[in-house]
Amino acid sequence: MVEISYVKRSVITAVCIGLCVVLPMAFHAIPNGGRLFSPMHIPVLLAGLICGWSFGLLCGLAGPLLSTLITGMPPVAYLPPMLVELAVYGLVSGLIFALVRTKKLYADLYISLVAALLAGRIVAGAAIALIFSAGSYSLAAWTAGYLVGTWPGIVVQLVLIPALVSALMKAKLIPERYSALPGE
Amino acid sequence: MRTLPAGQYIPGHSFLHQLNARTKILCLFFLMAAVIGASSLWGYALVLAVIFLLILVSRLPVRPAVASVRGIYWFLLVIFMMNALFFGGEDPPASWGIFQLSREGIRQGFKVAGNVLLIFILGNLLTMTTLPTQVTTALESLIKPLKFIGVPTEDVAIIISIAIQFIPTLMEETELIKMAQIARGARFESKKLLERAASFIPLVVPVFIAAFRRADEVALAMEARGYRNAKNRTRQKKEPLTPCDYFALAVCAFICLVQFFLLP
Repeated sequence: MVEISYVKRSVITAVCIGLCVVLPMAFHAIPNGGRLFSPMHIPVLLAGLICGWSFGLLCGLAGPLLSTLITGMPPVAYLPPMLVELAVYGLVSGLIFALVRTKKLYADLYISLVAALLAGRIVAGAAIALIFSAGSYSLAAWTAGYLVGTWPGIVVQLVLIPALVSALMKAKLIPERYSALPGE
Repeated sequence: MRTLPAGQYIPGHSFLHQLNARTKILCLFFLMAAVIGASSLWGYALVLAVIFLLILVSRLPVRPAVASVRGIYWFLLVIFMMNALFFGGEDPPASWGIFQLSREGIRQGFKVAGNVLLIFILGNLLTMTTLPTQVTTALESLIKPLKFIGVPTEDVAIIISIAIQFIPTLMEETELIKMAQIARGARFESKKLLERAASFIPLVVPVFIAAFRRADEVALAMEARGYRNAKNRTRQKKEPLTPCDYFALAVCAFICLVQFFLLP
């Protein structure tokens, strides 16, 4: 696999941070669309998968922060748990994708995605329960907020992200993970 | 999509506009702590009085400020319902399966939604009186100590400033793709929620492809000009803190202390 240069990874991360601001604006045309579809999660997970854990982590921290500063969404009060959740998404997706090599692109992608989505939700729930709303947060509220309330977003992410990575590889905008053998 | 939502910068010459962005960010943290620490009626009265005073001092037009609050009523409602229905408590007057509507839950719902609203107004006061570029410069200077644990703060600042420059382009691109999808029969304005939601999905892939194509071009141009990383980059303009900044910081720190140590 050809490595992406440091400059290109920086610019791709910048674009993903920009998309963290722009995509939710498009989805806010749907009532409660931001929360239901979690559009900001897509660029963060992509940054982690394509550029690596450090860039994914940066995208997870800077994306929501910049969106709050420019558009006011998510509101500042909701920002800290969201920063934790998205930072873990970027970090874990990048780490797992770098470690797991099953020789099948989609298997690598799904393992990294599911691990990141689970880790992000668990860490954000733990952060709310222990720090941000210590003593007034329950398992039922976590299930409602992070699983039941966002299932359309989870489905969209699991369908769209592998398709996006594959489309970007086909368009030669990012290098192939497993290059085909000659004659294959 | 054509215009940025409420909460964006509104030019002005008020005291708040003239404060250094670093001061405003630190003051925001102090006041956020004061809001979260409020547990009595006096505590909330203090926070409300400070916010009212800040709105007066900022001399911002009323309409955009109110519009920004109107934009989050869905969000506040969800927060209130989640707390009211899942908080639990003794002898709930009504319960349906896993949902339990209790007095403590309703009180908690009002408290959390109220805190979110107050912090939202404070956040908006920062973004409405400070240019995004000033905020990123301030963030860059505030994260400088992270250099000691190996974080490349100059690169982080460069990435964030490229991201800010990309936002208008990405918005334009998204709008263009949206128009193209409408021409192909997508129903973004449909009254049926599912139909409207489904129409947004085909928007995402072309937006990402277009964005990555732009990233590819920019990276190529930067590499062709010899850019490697942002180390040793210098700044033309330096903005030191003024006595007004120190005064604002001292007042906000004092409010925070009063909230935590003097009020019940």
